[in-house]
Amino acid sequence: MHRQKENELPIKRRRVTRRHFVAATAAVVATHATAIKVPQVIASLSSQEWGDLTGRLVYMGKPPERQKLVVDRDVECCGKYDIRDESLMVGREGGLMNVFIYLRSRPARICSELAERMPEKVVLDNRDCIFIPHCMTVWYPRQKYHIINSDPIAQNVAFSPLGDRAANIIMTPPPDPAAEAWWEFRRSQTVPVLVKCNYHPWESAYVLPRDNPYMAVTGPDGSFQIEKLPVGKAEFQVWQERIGYLHIERWPKGRFEISIKPGLNDLGTIAISGQLFQV
Amino acid sequence: MNTVGRAAWEMLSWGIRAFGGGFAIAVLGGIILGSAGGCNPASPAAFRLNLEGREPRRISFLQRESLEELMVELFGTPDEPRLPPGVELNLELLRMAAGPAIRMGDEEGYGRQRRGLYREHCARCHGISGDGAGPAALVLHPYPRDFRWGIFKYTSTLPGLKPTRADLRQVLRRGLPGTAMPSFARLDPIELEALVEYVIYLSIRGETERYAVQLILDEDEPLPLSIVSKERIIEEGAQWAYQQWLIPESDPQQYVVVPPPPPEVSMPAAWADSVAKGRELYRSERAQCVKCHGPEGAGDGEQTDLYDDWNLAKKGVTPAQTARLSALFSLPLQRLKARDFRAGIFHGGSRAEDLYLRIHIGIKGTPMPGVGPNGDNPGVLQLEEIWHIVHFIQDLAGQNPFSQKATGAAGRNPLLSELSGSTFGK
Repeated sequence: MHRQKENELPIKRRRVTRRHFVAATAAVVATHATAIKVPQVIASLSSQEWGDLTGRLVYMGKPPERQKLVVDRDVECCGKYDIRDESLMVGREGGLMNVFIYLRSRPARICSELAERMPEKVVLDNRDCIFIPHCMTVWYPRQKYHIINSDPIAQNVAFSPLGDRAANIIMTPPPDPAAEAWWEFRRSQTVPVLVKCNYHPWESAYVLPRDNPYMAVTGPDGSFQIEKLPVGKAEFQVWQERIGYLHIERWPKGRFEISIKPGLNDLGTIAISGQLFQV
Repeated sequence: MNTVGRAAWEMLSWGIRAFGGGFAIAVLGGIILGSAGGCNPASPAAFRLNLEGREPRRISFLQRESLEELMVELFGTPDEPRLPPGVELNLELLRMAAGPAIRMGDEEGYGRQRRGLYREHCARCHGISGDGAGPAALVLHPYPRDFRWGIFKYTSTLPGLKPTRADLRQVLRRGLPGTAMPSFARLDPIELEALVEYVIYLSIRGETERYAVQLILDEDEPLPLSIVSKERIIEEGAQWAYQQWLIPESDPQQYVVVPPPPPEVSMPAAWADSVAKGRELYRSERAQCVKCHGPEGAGDGEQTDLYDDWNLAKKGVTPAQTARLSALFSLPLQRLKARDFRAGIFHGGSRAEDLYLRIHIGIKGTPMPGVGPNGDNPGVLQLEEIWHIVHFIQDLAGQNPFSQKATGAAGRNPLLSELSGSTFGK
C-alpha cells in the first residue's frame, strides 16, 4: 500500500503541470505557431527603403555531359523519356542553373509589396517521371507547397526537413482527388531539403522553405534576382546540390556580405570553375 | 562486490544468455582492454556527442567542448538529468529512469528498482545517449531506434507528428514482435511511465543537440556561445521539440487516428467478400502496395532499394560515396525489407486495429506511406477500403477467423499469435 502511494505521486503531479501548461499554450500550439519568431511584413514606406540584388553565375569550362539515369520502374510510361542527372545543370551561355541564393542574416523587415505580389502557392509537379521544377523555394508563412501528379502512373513524394514534419505522400494519377496534395512547412531550413520518390529512385528535387521571401534559384542563363530587400547590411548563402555550400575564393563557405543600397545592386557575372564540381 | 564490478558481471551474464560465449568473451576482452588502457571505471557516465555523418578532423576542439558544455548545461548527465526552461517533463520520473543500474535492497535484501531503469532495460541496445547504438546494436536487424531524430515508427498520430505517450507505452508493453524489442509488460506502471518520460527526454535532448550541432558546425555560431545564441538553441531547439510532443494530445480529434468500426464480416461470405475487395485494392494503382510488398504479399515487390530515414543519411549517389559516408556513422548502412505478410508477424502488432493504423498513417521514418486522409489531403483510400486491405492481409497471414486450419505462422503457433496478436496488451 505504502509503495503504491509512492508510485502514484509523480504521475499525478506530472498530469497537473502538463494540463496547466497545455492550457497556457493551447492557442500557440493549435495554430502551430511556436517560439520561433518570423520577420515582420512592413508596408513599403518609400522606394528608398528597399533594394534589389541581381547577378549571374557562369560555369567555366566544358559543360559536363549529363549522365543518363537508370529508369527501371514503370518502364512503359517512364521509359520513353530521356531522363538525365540534374545535379549539375549548365544552361544558356554557360549559365549555372539551380543554384540557391538566400538571405542568411535575419531581415529587418519584409516589403509588403512582395506579400501582395508573390503567388500564394508554389507548385511541385510530377511530370514526365521527374519533379518539375528541380529546385524551388517556399516562403512558408505565406506560400503553400502544392504537390501535383500529372503522370498517368502513381507517384510518391517523400521529404524529411530537419526538425519539421516529415512527408511521405502517395499521389494517384489524375483526375483522382489524391493526385494533388498540400503541405505546410513550419520552420526555416538552413539548407535545401531533398525531395524523393520512393517508387522511382531516379527522381529527386530540392525545396528550401524559409520564413522570408529573400531567396532565389538561378535560371537557365544562370541569373538570379532577389527583390525588395531591406536597405542595409545583408549576408547571403549560396548552395548547389552537388557540392553543398558553393565555396569560391570571394565566397568562403558559400557566403557573401553586401550592403544593400536603394535600387539595383548588381553583382555582375560570377565565374565558377568547373573543377569545383569534380567530386 | 563493488557496483562497477557487479554491473560488469550482470552485463556479462546477460551476454552469455543472449548471445552465447562469443559475446561474453568479447565483452570480457573489452573490459580487460578497457582497464589496461587506463579507462577509469569510476568516471561518471556521459552522453556521447552526436557527430554522426561528420568528419572528425573538421571539428575543432573548441566546437566539441562548447557543444559538450552546452548539452550538460541544458540536459544534465545520464546520472543527473536536467531540463532547459520551457521543457516541462517530469524530473521525478526522469530520475527514476536515469542513473546507473543498481538494485537498492531494503532491510530484507529485496527492493524495487527505483533508479537506473533505462540503463537496466534499454541502454544495451539503445545506448546511454539514446543513439540506437548500444553494445548489442550492431548485430540487430532492424537496428534499435535512435531517439535523437525524434521519429518513432509505430504511432497513432497523423504523418509527421510525434507519437502519443500511449503509443510509446504500448510499444513498451507489447514489444515489437519480430524484432529484438521485448515486452516490458511486467514492469510496474510507474516504471513504464518513467521510461516513456525518459525516452521523450532523450529524444528532445537529441533533437536539440542536432540543432546545436548544425548551428555551431555549419552555421559557424561564434564561440564560446553567447547568451543570445543559447537562448536561440533553447527556443528553436529544445522548446520547439517539446511543443511538437504536445501537439497530438492538444487536439486528439484532429491529430490522433482512431480506427472506425470495421465493415460487417461476421459471416464467412462477408469476410470472403471483404478479402476479395482488399486484394483488388492491394493490387490497384491507387494503393500501390504491390510495389514493395509484392503481388502475393511476400515482401518481394520490385522496390528493393529501401532505407529508413536513419539509414538514408548514410547513402550517397555512388557506391563510393556511400562507403565514405557510412563510415562516418556508428552503424553500417542497413537495408530495409518490406514485410512478408505470410509470416503473420508484424512489428507494430497484428491486431486488426494495429494493421489499420499502419496502413492509414504509414510507418514514420520509412518508405511506407499512409494512404488515409491527412488534414487537407483526402488520402488515396476511403476508411472502409483500408479495412478491406486489413482483412486481405489478415487472410494472407493465416488470421482468417473462419478457417479451421489457419496457415500462417501466427495460426500455427499459439504462443506467437498471443505475443504478436489479439490477446496481448489489451
